[in-house]
Amino acid sequence: MSKEELESQLSAMFDDELPAPECELLARRLARDEQLRERWGRYAAIGACVRGEPGVRLQTSLAGKVSAALKQESAQNGVPAAGGDKRGWFTPWVTSLAGLASAAAVAAVAILWMRSEAPALVAHNAPLQNAPAAHPAVRMQPATAPQLALVTPAARVPKSHEPDSYVTPAAVAQVPGLVPPTELANYIVAHSAYSGPLMRRNALSALVAVDSAAPPVNAQPIPAVVTGK
Amino acid sequence: MTADASDLSLVQRVQRGDKGAFDVLVLKYQHKVVKLVMRYVRNPAEAEDIAQDAFIKAYRALPQFRGDSAFYTWLYRIAINTAKNAVVARDRNPVDFDLDMTNNDESYEMQGRLKDSETPEALVLTDEIRTTVNAAIANLPDDLRTAIVLRELEGLSYEEIAATMDCPVGTVRSRIFRAREAIDSRLREVFEGGLGRAEEIG
Repeated sequence: MSKEELESQLSAMFDDELPAPECELLARRLARDEQLRERWGRYAAIGACVRGEPGVRLQTSLAGKVSAALKQESAQNGVPAAGGDKRGWFTPWVTSLAGLASAAAVAAVAILWMRSEAPALVAHNAPLQNAPAAHPAVRMQPATAPQLALVTPAARVPKSHEPDSYVTPAAVAQVPGLVPPTELANYIVAHSAYSGPLMRRNALSALVAVDSAAPPVNAQPIPAVVTGK
Repeated sequence: MTADASDLSLVQRVQRGDKGAFDVLVLKYQHKVVKLVMRYVRNPAEAEDIAQDAFIKAYRALPQFRGDSAFYTWLYRIAINTAKNAVVARDRNPVDFDLDMTNNDESYEMQGRLKDSETPEALVLTDEIRTTVNAAIANLPDDLRTAIVLRELEGLSYEEIAATMDCPVGTVRSRIFRAREAIDSRLREVFEGGLGRAEEIG
C-alpha cells in the first residue's frame, strides 16, 4: 500500500467513513505509527480551526499520557488490563475463600496459643491450691476460678447452647468432677466458633483475663469464701 | 462503515486485551472529549487532565461495555460525569492563598494564575495555527474547499456531500483527503519539527 493510499485511508477513518476491514488494519498500524498519530492530531486541529473552536492545539500526547498512566497504575496496583481481566467471574469466590482461610488461620492460632498457655495456667496457680493445706486453721479456697467454675460448662451448655461462664478453672486438678483446663479451653474456643464475633471475642478475652488477673506465685489468696466444712 | 461499527470493533479488541486499540480510541476521541470538557472548565490544561481521567475510567469500565449504546455516547457520559465531579471537587477545595501575603508581586502573580485560562504562549500558538489553516483553506481549489467545509463545518457524511456536490462518494473522499493534505503540509511548514513546539507549550 502506498503512503498516499494509507493517508487517504487515515482521512476516511478520521471521518468514520472507512470500511470495517480497512479500519481494523489501519487501527493496528495507527497504534504503532507515531507519524500517523501526529497526522491524526493535525487533522483534528484543522477541523477545530474550520469550526472556529477556541483553544486549538496540536495534541497527540493525550493518548500517550493515558497509556502511560494505565501502565503505571497496573504496575503499582496489579490492576489487570481491561481486556485481560479474565478472572472477574471467580473473584467473589476467591474473596470468600480467602476470608474463610484467614478466619480458620486465626482460629488455629488461637487454639494453639490456648493449648500452650493452659499448662502454664495450672502451674501458675499451683501455690493457691496448696494454700489451705499450709494454713489448716483457716480453711479457705481461692476466690478465683474454682469458685466461679463450680458450675461446669459441660452441664450448662446443652440447655441454652451458651455457657454462663467462660472462666477457666485454675485449680481444677484438685476439684473432682471439673473439666481439665486444656480441654475446657478447647471446648470454649470450639464452641465460640458457632457464636457471633462479639461472643467469640468475649470468650477469648475472658480466657486471657484469667491468666493476667491471676495473683503472683507468692501472693496470699483473698479469703473470699470460708467454708464451714 | 458507521462510526458505531468501527468503534465496536476497536472496543472488542480492547476487551480481548489489545491495548493498542484503546490508544486508537483515545486518539480518535481526545479532541472531542477535551472540547466537551471545556464546557465545564475553561483552562485547556485542566480540561486535558479531566479528559485523561475520563479515558482511564472508560478503560477500567470497558469490560462491562456491551455495546447497547454507541461507544462515543458512553464515553461522553463518562467524560461529563468526570468533568462535573472535578468542578465540584475544585469548588470544595479552592486554591488557597494568604491574603496577608507581604510580597505584592507574588500575590499578583497568584491572582493572575487563578484568572488566566490559557498562557500567552498557548494563545499565540492557537492564533498561529488558526491563521495558517485559514490561509491554507483560502488557497484551496473550490471543489476541495467546499468538500472540507461541508465535512468539518456542516458535519455532512460523504454520501450527503456527494449528493450536494453531485459527484461519486469516492471523489468526495479523495477531495477531502487532498484538502487535508494541502492544509497539513502548510501546517508542517510553519511548525517545523512536527508537534514538538505545541507539546512544549502545552
